[in-house]
Amino acid sequence: MAKKMMKGNVAIAEAAVRYGVRFYAGYPITPSSEIMEYLSWRLDEVGGAFVQAESELSGVNMVIGAASCGVRALTASSGPGISLKQEGVSTLCDEELSAVVINMVRYGNGLGTLYSSQTDYLRETRGGGQGDYRCIVLCPYSIQEAVDMLGLAYDLAEKYRVVTVFMAEGALGQMMEPVELPDFIETKKNYWGFDGKYSYKKIGIFDRDSMKEAVALREKYAAICENEQRWEDEGIEDADYVFVSYGLTGRSTLGAARELREEGYKVGHIRPITAWPFPHKAFAKINPNVKGIITVEANATGQLIEDVALATKKAMENNVPTYALPYVYGIPAIKDIKEDFVKIANGQVREAY
Amino acid sequence: MKEIVFAGFGGQGVLTSGLIISDIAVENGENATWMPSYGSAMRGGTANCTVKYGEGIIYNPSQEEPNLLLAMNQPSFDMFIGKVAKDGIVLVSEVVDTTACTRDDVKIVVVPCHKIADEANHSRGANIVMTGAIIKLLGDHTMEQGKAAMERMFNKKGKNKFSELNETVFEAGYNYI
Repeated sequence: MAKKMMKGNVAIAEAAVRYGVRFYAGYPITPSSEIMEYLSWRLDEVGGAFVQAESELSGVNMVIGAASCGVRALTASSGPGISLKQEGVSTLCDEELSAVVINMVRYGNGLGTLYSSQTDYLRETRGGGQGDYRCIVLCPYSIQEAVDMLGLAYDLAEKYRVVTVFMAEGALGQMMEPVELPDFIETKKNYWGFDGKYSYKKIGIFDRDSMKEAVALREKYAAICENEQRWEDEGIEDADYVFVSYGLTGRSTLGAARELREEGYKVGHIRPITAWPFPHKAFAKINPNVKGIITVEANATGQLIEDVALATKKAMENNVPTYALPYVYGIPAIKDIKEDFVKIANGQVREAY
Repeated sequence: MKEIVFAGFGGQGVLTSGLIISDIAVENGENATWMPSYGSAMRGGTANCTVKYGEGIIYNPSQEEPNLLLAMNQPSFDMFIGKVAKDGIVLVSEVVDTTACTRDDVKIVVVPCHKIADEANHSRGANIVMTGAIIKLLGDHTMEQGKAAMERMFNKKGKNKFSELNETVFEAGYNYI
């Protein structure tokens, strides 16, 4: 099939239908609204159900219901709306139910702004709601990768019985680029879903053994960390400096890294595809004599830098400095990344860790 | 790779114009990205989009240094003139006053798109006049490729009842250059 220009949110919504999503509930918010607008008529065509809920909290609780029935369920929002959904995400994780939550990230605290950004990295990679859990976090860098990866988002959520957060910058939902959509797949109802016959033993809140559950939880998360780290890297084996950057910002950074290489700078690039589990394994390949690791981020204070500093500490022996280049919102220009890189190489930027 | 910024009042069709150009490139087997300014833009306010196209990966789909700026009104011209790449083209409608412009490293092209569209009895087609002009100015695609992309676009939107008028003003814009 030839590639067609498609808007990110629309392509993602159609891909969801093709990967077997049959339930959506949520509340609109820029820059994610086109996902639910599209599904509001599209799910009906394939025998699915769509609800524009009265609030985000209500929407995510409906997703809990659909997931309990073993159906592929979806909700989408942006920063402030995802905050409101956290109680439900925590409940999904506690009940070991699978679902996908899409966050089209916008900039700012509180209600924030409509600008595209990466301000929710720490929230998404640390669980987000109350309690002690993690979500698998995928961060696509193109509409095609987003469309391809949404199936993986459900496969992983169902394999480990966790929530997968699909974390993309708002701009990815609003922009258009050529896309080839996936084929329709047949999905079976998940085996743990309600079957109307009370097949599963009811376990009341006071019957649970939290100590035993904690062991199982740790084993599950350890297995995810071991098996599911995903990333792309380029030119890191002989690099003096390595950029780490994800999403659209990572895509712009890749362009900067390649141009800098051509200009004679030995730079490499790691693009995390899973933000959790963070791709620690990528760092094992880095030149042991590297002079610095640099994050390029679309936020105000630097968030990715914390995971990058930890990964650097684990993989490197000689206290390699890590630097953060936070460009606040939008997608950083290749020209700006290159100029700021030169400042780092000249010792004009203070390390973060 | 080419970068174009399409800017004007909301409702003038600059986003559509950008879509047509990106669609030509994709149909031609090239890569393309279309990035709108989104959010608080509304009819009567300013709207813009950035289109990039060419062979290979497009790293940054957002605005850096446009090779061509389409400015349909004065605020758009004032906002983006400083960002145009050296030796770039600045295409403006007849309502834009460029006399205060201090840049001598860009080529300013005035196309009276509103007059051309009015004379063709298609006053809402000024953006299509400019789409034709852009294709000629950049020289990467033919008039036929442009017209075919325009047809696809308006068919998809269910607005093909203006297709003859659109073709007329598209050709007029192309031939004005």
